[in-house]
Amino acid sequence: MNALDYLQFVLAPQVLNGLTLGVAVVLVALGLTIIFGLLDVINMSHGEFYAIGAYAALALGAAQINFWFLLVLVPLLMLPLGMLIERTLIRRVFDGGDRHVTTLLVTFGLGLIVEDLLKAAYGPNTFRPPTPITGATEIFGIILPNYRLFLVFFGSLVICAVAWVVYRTRLGAMVRAAAFDRNMAASLGVPVSLVYAGTFAFGVGLAGLAGVLLAPVYSVFPTMGRDFILLAFTVVIVGGMGSIWGAVVAGLLLTQVQALASLVISPVWTDPIVFGTMVAFLVFRPQGIFGRLGHA
Amino acid sequence: MKTASAFASVAAGLLAATALVSAAQAQANIKIGVVTPLSGTYAPIGQQVRWGLELAAREINAAGGIANRKVDLVFEDEEANPSVAVQKAEKLFQVEKVDFLTGTVNSGSTLAVAQLAERNQKLAATTVSFADSITTDKCSPNMFRVNARAEQQSVALAAWLARSKPKSKVFYLGPDYEMGRSTVAAFKASAEKTGAQSSGEVFAPLDSKDYTQYFGQIRAARPQVVYTSVAGNDTVRLFTQLQDFGLLSNLTIVGASGTVTSQNIGAMGQAAEGFATGVGYSPQIDSPENKKFVDAFKAANKADPDLYGADSYGVLFAYKAAVEKAGSTETDKVRDALRGLTWQTPQGAKTIRAGDHQAQQPMYVVRVTKGKFDIVDQVPADQAIGPDTCTRF
Repeated sequence: MNALDYLQFVLAPQVLNGLTLGVAVVLVALGLTIIFGLLDVINMSHGEFYAIGAYAALALGAAQINFWFLLVLVPLLMLPLGMLIERTLIRRVFDGGDRHVTTLLVTFGLGLIVEDLLKAAYGPNTFRPPTPITGATEIFGIILPNYRLFLVFFGSLVICAVAWVVYRTRLGAMVRAAAFDRNMAASLGVPVSLVYAGTFAFGVGLAGLAGVLLAPVYSVFPTMGRDFILLAFTVVIVGGMGSIWGAVVAGLLLTQVQALASLVISPVWTDPIVFGTMVAFLVFRPQGIFGRLGHA
Repeated sequence: MKTASAFASVAAGLLAATALVSAAQAQANIKIGVVTPLSGTYAPIGQQVRWGLELAAREINAAGGIANRKVDLVFEDEEANPSVAVQKAEKLFQVEKVDFLTGTVNSGSTLAVAQLAERNQKLAATTVSFADSITTDKCSPNMFRVNARAEQQSVALAAWLARSKPKSKVFYLGPDYEMGRSTVAAFKASAEKTGAQSSGEVFAPLDSKDYTQYFGQIRAARPQVVYTSVAGNDTVRLFTQLQDFGLLSNLTIVGASGTVTSQNIGAMGQAAEGFATGVGYSPQIDSPENKKFVDAFKAANKADPDLYGADSYGVLFAYKAAVEKAGSTETDKVRDALRGLTWQTPQGAKTIRAGDHQAQQPMYVVRVTKGKFDIVDQVPADQAIGPDTCTRF
């Protein structure tokens, strides 16, 4: 293979494809890092909320509801679900004993139940909603499907909007205050209980949004929740729990490492590199690149 | 006198006891263990396996069972994971005391279960796994394969490719495990024999989310044909991503027979159009046996059977024929009966080759046209089987 072919067909597309996968991973990790970093809850069912979002898009799309409307509708529908789960499951085990272990087990169980419910309702077969934007754009011989370009653009917008809410608004300040010191925040008039439920629901809504956005690219099936969850947890740990910019940097970095490493080594060995990075961070820099939000 | 009568009563008691035991044996149901993926990326395949076996068991039981004993199926989920498959198979052999085991999909699971069957002195059969090694260098006296293996499929496909696209440049993309590597190796060998050139190969992890990272290598290699052996959800992602990137327009995509099935073809739509493969079964096979099977399968499951459903349906009839020929469910007797057995299946008569436990059958080349597989070519059983290279028995 000559050098120009390599650059045009292999290296440049690889970087761009890594970028779209990176944005997808960050979208899934965003809700996870908020729930983990701000509520101190290890939400193992996050992948299944992502799956619920995708199935909701599939079902509502089949009912002739426009895709662009679904981008708003599905996350909104996920909010009451998130509130309900926080009130009925998470809150009950939140203060009892070892919070990490109990929330991990409760949400892990919840994830298994959701996966089976999806399988019972839709069967094990794969579905795929039609791609909302078809066609591909060719730039210097590099082919990029238009929907993926949209995904990168819209995903970046969502990430910036979430960062703005958490870091720059009064609401975000209340959330961060409640995460930093629950009692002090409560005594200063922050409705801590509502903030907790709202934060959890917000994370769930983001998972649903990721489900709607990624369904046309990665297809829809009951175990789809497992797809991104390990990579998303890695992103959260490497980026720093709760840190949104940390998730962005770690997500883009790790997917680039994966994409570029697969050019020189067998693709199956890229997973060990990614998870090895996570282990290295846990050992040498457990707070992640950016440190934990609200606990800086 | 006293000893004689004591002897007589003991003898009578023994006779009565054996009579009771054999009566109990005659009535006890035959238990068949099914270790198959009911969750995970291969769940759609496990579903076909289940449907095929359940239909066969219902038909066999309605007709009086196997040697007048009813058949019970005991299902366990192997999650397409060899270590889980081994645990579940061990449980079925040890706790459920099954007489026979089938259902494994992942070739790694089949190989692991073969070793376990040897330790438990039971027989097992796969109806799905393609990896050649199962009936070649890693053959087992306790494992049988009733479906076509990778080489049978690739011989048929290569013959068609040589006719429709002579001397083409082929790029290979397989999932990185036993089945993927062996299907690619088998097709490459067959295709090169018939004049095709190889322009590159890549192996992607099972359950890959994104295949776009390999598209650059494919484009730079400028092939006319891409051969792939991904399966299940992986196929949906690979094909639709190829379509999104506009790569399907001037490529012929061919692949392993499990790549596109009735389970995933619906999710792909246009992206699956033109895909060609060598198979041991197609619902379109024009024979009365197959029509009857397809109708019964559709009535029971509201879906078309694919090769997994048909081969899983067929395995129970092979076991029935062998047990009735052997007059017993004992491992050694059934093994002898299965060797060289010819029995009827929806795709016609199959024969198990005694030397390597591989079923011989006619092979077909099918191509997706308007969302349906059409049969475009056929290769007779003896031309597609390849040499017996099993040396263990």
